[in-house]
Amino acid sequence: MKEEELKQIFLAEAQDSFEQLNRLFTQLEKNHADREVTEAIFRIIHTLKGNAAAMGFEDVASVGHLLEDIFSEIRKGNITLTSMVFNDLFKAIDKLGEMIEGVKVDKKVPYKGMRAKLKVILRNLKGEIEYEHTQGGESSDKKDKEIEATLQKQMEEELTESQKETLASEQPVPIGVPLADEFMDEEEKKSKITFSDFVQVPVSKLDTLLNLVGELAIEKDRIIAQGASVGATNEYTRLYRITSDLQYSVMGVRLVQVGALFHKFHRIVRDVASIENKKVNLDLQGTEIEIDRNVLQIISDSMIHLVRNAVSHGIEGPEERRKKGKKEQGTIQLRATSDKEYVIIEVIDDGYGIDANKIRKKVVEKNLATPEAVASLSDDDIVKFIFEPGFSSVDNVTSVSGRGVGMDVVKKAVDAVGGKINIKTVLGQGTTFSLSLPSSMAVKSALLFIINNTEYAIPLSFTEAVISVKKTSIHKVGSGLVTTHLDDTITVMFLRDIFDCKDTEELQNPQLLHRSFDQIEDSEAKINIVVVSVDNKMIGFVVDRLLQQKEIIEKPLGKPVENARFISGATILGNGNVCLVLDANDISEFLFKPTFATV
Amino acid sequence: MNVEEPSNASPSKEERIAEAVDMAKVTIDDEQEKKSNIIVFRLGEEEYGLRIDQIKEVVITPRITKIPLTPSYVRGVANIRGNILAIIDLEDKFSLNKTINETSGYTLVVESHEFNMAILVKDVPNTLSVADTDIDYTPAVVTEMHGEQDYINGIIKIDDRLIILIDIFKIITKDDLKTVIGSKI
Repeated sequence: MKEEELKQIFLAEAQDSFEQLNRLFTQLEKNHADREVTEAIFRIIHTLKGNAAAMGFEDVASVGHLLEDIFSEIRKGNITLTSMVFNDLFKAIDKLGEMIEGVKVDKKVPYKGMRAKLKVILRNLKGEIEYEHTQGGESSDKKDKEIEATLQKQMEEELTESQKETLASEQPVPIGVPLADEFMDEEEKKSKITFSDFVQVPVSKLDTLLNLVGELAIEKDRIIAQGASVGATNEYTRLYRITSDLQYSVMGVRLVQVGALFHKFHRIVRDVASIENKKVNLDLQGTEIEIDRNVLQIISDSMIHLVRNAVSHGIEGPEERRKKGKKEQGTIQLRATSDKEYVIIEVIDDGYGIDANKIRKKVVEKNLATPEAVASLSDDDIVKFIFEPGFSSVDNVTSVSGRGVGMDVVKKAVDAVGGKINIKTVLGQGTTFSLSLPSSMAVKSALLFIINNTEYAIPLSFTEAVISVKKTSIHKVGSGLVTTHLDDTITVMFLRDIFDCKDTEELQNPQLLHRSFDQIEDSEAKINIVVVSVDNKMIGFVVDRLLQQKEIIEKPLGKPVENARFISGATILGNGNVCLVLDANDISEFLFKPTFATV
Repeated sequence: MNVEEPSNASPSKEERIAEAVDMAKVTIDDEQEKKSNIIVFRLGEEEYGLRIDQIKEVVITPRITKIPLTPSYVRGVANIRGNILAIIDLEDKFSLNKTINETSGYTLVVESHEFNMAILVKDVPNTLSVADTDIDYTPAVVTEMHGEQDYINGIIKIDDRLIILIDIFKIITKDDLKTVIGSKI
């Protein structure tokens, strides 16, 4: 099923490429020297070939490969096109189109003749240059080398070609001589116009659609709430069902398989590995898991970063691996699993792992924490320092465990989509980064509460528990407050304290976090706390009153308030009011940053 | 200034071009004919104006949700036709007497792709068609103001009224908000 979907995507792209090629070829025919068009053709064929090879469509890939070779030479200026060649190139493109069509209906199209023909073209065109060169009598070193290179390339190509496909007859086929069965009903085929079963839609249109559906959902909630008060609930069940279905369908349209991203890593891993002289095997798991397209886009750079780091800093060189008794070839695994509303993407390597003690040293060097604080932290906690903005720097942690570069950027991206990042490392055995990402950016469950008569929401992905404690069980520790939750001591803060601040200077007031606490006179008074977990740290947010749990559609705040502190976005409630969504990451940063800086 | 040309005798395009070659006066006359539509509203005791193309619509002020740690002139955000807009109080921004009632006033929605915002006003504003000649683009107060107050576009004087023409996008600049919000990079 999933395979089928991939095939459909390939077909849609391939047909698109095919049409573009047709258009570009017509352009090129008019002006043989058009460099831009040549470049474009080369690029398209290259992509088409790559996609086809990845999908295992050998026929498309092999003809594509030859065309790519021809255009690669044209691009380099090694060969110039002639009108005679053009006819054959057009035929080759038609053949490509036929083969793409063949993939669609699962029918094999004979192509060996065309392949042989292209080879001949390539050889002849190259032959011509050789000939010209000798004729011209110029034998500058450069040119000689060029010829040599061309010749060698040609030979190599022939070698690999013949290795790959032993069945093909390598007899050159004269240009312009049609091969009976293959070219017979060409005319008939040419006149067919194919329509793709896919419609390409700009993401912005999908965004608009989703916004509208979001508003519809809110309106639905409002009307149903109204109806409930008059007792007309039955009337609305259908409205409810249809809007929900619509909402999920639109969300579904935005989902893409993580494979779309994962498959790009074959090349990246290969390139980085070859630069670093390492042997790395890439293993992809769960490529069929679906995730919102925007989420995938936002974290794609981070993924590249993680994978690159894993290859260049994680995996050891072959020599070293052998000494350690590991397989010479390191393995990087990209694994996606889905967990309710979340998709968990893991980047797993079986390399060095991260040496916590080196991180400790670095943290102290960078003045991110005092030596005492560092000594008291567990290895797991220390490793998390790599996500600190100040930690990354040009000089890597060490050549051995240098994973510092830009990790804070990775974390920022994950935070931005409302995800979490975790790291597990075993020295000598490898490291696992696991990114827990919302499968859909739009709708999330959130807990609503009230502070200062204003409604706020916090995504359920952050919340751990809701507790109610007496004033006496909250204690002042330093400039903050703590309480006990499930035998753990957790930091507690009255959100009111920071929300009431007039400006950022007031935020620095050391007594700030005690204010509301001091105002509570009744020591038996119950205090509502929402326990949230941010970066595996527990924080208790004191709220005035808890409301219900609700599905919300979070929208980012636009300009001019897009940078508002402690707020990640807003949502519109059923009553039409705007409800702000807390940015738990930012609040946690505010709470814990100063301590690192000052202790 | 110049004598106004009779409006019914507007020359054809060709003639104009021909004339323009000879004398620059024609272009000056052209400008005189231009009229701008200005939305006029009261802030404090003064009248302020905005070019009509900067305003999308006027609505009754919806319920506003305060945003923590924003400057006092950002009253919060509100839901206007499904869009979440920042609500700006210009009386606060310009340190004028407070006349606007948040629960009974009106809100001008600013037309912009970049900004999502709206401005609080007391009454339904009216539109005014103003000839460009009635707008003084370079009064001393404007030219002498540097940086901070360059949002004043000009002064409109019609009859006994004085309307301050402002550019809404210059009022809300990034720097303005950054100092108070604290950069969250």
